[in-house]
Amino acid sequence: MNAPASLLAIENLTVRFGGLVAVDHVSFEVKPGSIHALIGPNGAGKTTVFNCISRFYQPATGALRFGEHDLLTKPRHRLAELGVARTFQNLELFGELSVFENVLIGTHSQARRTGWLDLFRAGNRPGEHRDRIEHALEQTGIADVRHVKARALDFGRQKMLELARALAVRPTLLLLDEPAAGLRNREIDALDAMLVKLCRTDGLTIVLVEHVMQLVMSISDWVTVLNFGTKIAEGTPAAVQANEQVIDAYLGREQADV
Amino acid sequence: MTWELFLLFFQQSLMSGLVTGSIYALLALAMVMIFNTTDVPNFGQGEIFMVASYIALVLLVFASVPYLVMIPLTLAAVFFGGAIFQRLVLKRVALARGASVNLVIATLGLSYFLKGVMRQTGIAEVPRSFPALFPTDSVSIGMATATVQDFAILGLALAAMAAFFLFFHFTRTGRAMRAVGMNPRAAILVGVDIERMRWLVWGLSSAIAALAGILISPKLLMTADMGIVVILGFAAAIVGGFTSLPGAVVGGFVIGIVENMVGLFVSSKAIVVAPFLAIMLVLLLRPQGLLGGKATAKKV
Repeated sequence: MNAPASLLAIENLTVRFGGLVAVDHVSFEVKPGSIHALIGPNGAGKTTVFNCISRFYQPATGALRFGEHDLLTKPRHRLAELGVARTFQNLELFGELSVFENVLIGTHSQARRTGWLDLFRAGNRPGEHRDRIEHALEQTGIADVRHVKARALDFGRQKMLELARALAVRPTLLLLDEPAAGLRNREIDALDAMLVKLCRTDGLTIVLVEHVMQLVMSISDWVTVLNFGTKIAEGTPAAVQANEQVIDAYLGREQADV
Repeated sequence: MTWELFLLFFQQSLMSGLVTGSIYALLALAMVMIFNTTDVPNFGQGEIFMVASYIALVLLVFASVPYLVMIPLTLAAVFFGGAIFQRLVLKRVALARGASVNLVIATLGLSYFLKGVMRQTGIAEVPRSFPALFPTDSVSIGMATATVQDFAILGLALAAMAAFFLFFHFTRTGRAMRAVGMNPRAAILVGVDIERMRWLVWGLSSAIAALAGILISPKLLMTADMGIVVILGFAAAIVGGFTSLPGAVVGGFVIGIVENMVGLFVSSKAIVVAPFLAIMLVLLLRPQGLLGGKATAKKV
């Protein structure tokens, strides 16, 4: 069997909400070990594509392949086990739990499956996964607040916590929905370095939806541009930045001078 | 009232309150578990409690099963009953775009169904008493008097609560159940099968109600209407904040003690209104409940 050239392949994805076509026959591929950005104006369908990949929405037509798996045949709670993790645009944390416990729950899908016994065994003990949890906390720079309740953290650290929890899933594919939104410049620089390291050193494949162009253009290997639910361009950051259609629809004329 | 009498009443109501309170705490715990994971207050819980008590009675008295076998059998039967109800009825109601009011009505349906079935069997035709599982000899603590059975009830209920605390904090499944209660989307994302968690929670919750039934039945007169006791479990859950498991336990003891204090210090006729007075005071002074955390708006 030939190794597929892409880790994630999206073919002819169409999503309708009532009469509205949110995503219209979108296709793109994500190469393993790359950082792939999905950009476009608000309402372009970027998050909708994410919600299809993570199985929160059922597309009207299209195919989603992840490695050897046809994602559309998988129940959504199996994705973590397959190696797909994501973060949300509006944070989805376990607010009453500590930072450590949030990340610990991220390891849920890795405990050995033992059927009925599983109900009572003390699996998912912190000990079993401690190294991975510690590593995720270190990587995201929140190891010093491990005992703080998630809801008590500042926004930047809450975002890092969501990322740490996603890393605890031990993903091969990481979907990040606006990881830089609301972060300060210094935090964005740290995020930039962190994502590049995750990709180059740990071999993760990252797909991100992002409006912060400084981040997108600096870290992405490939950029796909959506507008009104259709793909209008794709290419390297430099090619996309020079694309007339993208400038008109999204980046704007001034962007070229910045 | 003399100081002596005050002390006696105080100690006695504390003692009796702890015993009945432990049962309310179990019932509230069962209620809150279900509310957290399936977003529905279970109005059928009283009847689960009632049917479980009758199953225990039938096994013990009619089938002469020794009670060390009767207890696990009853708990298992009720566990599966609760789980099956969730799978067969609630899941479908929810899938049929069930608003939460439909789910509530489904649990009310369960309540009438179980009561009707119980009346049909004829076992509940005459009030019955449940044989004591523990000696009823009196023991004095300070000025208060209780029976060995009372201590057994309190001890076993506390042990069950401790077991659940450990389960919820230190097992993978228990932690996943709490995760579903706090944020179902995030729980799915880390790989929690929330449908599985939901029926497990219904099973566990029903088994807790069954345990409460087995423990308290020897002190009650059994009728098909005995499930009404669960109202006090509701009260306890509300006092505790309705989403907090420790709150449910605290609420149970508060209701139990308040009830007994009112009975001794005010009048035994006032016992019935005492829990509602406690609910109203809590709702007025601390609407989120004693341990309900800060009242915050949910993100849309």
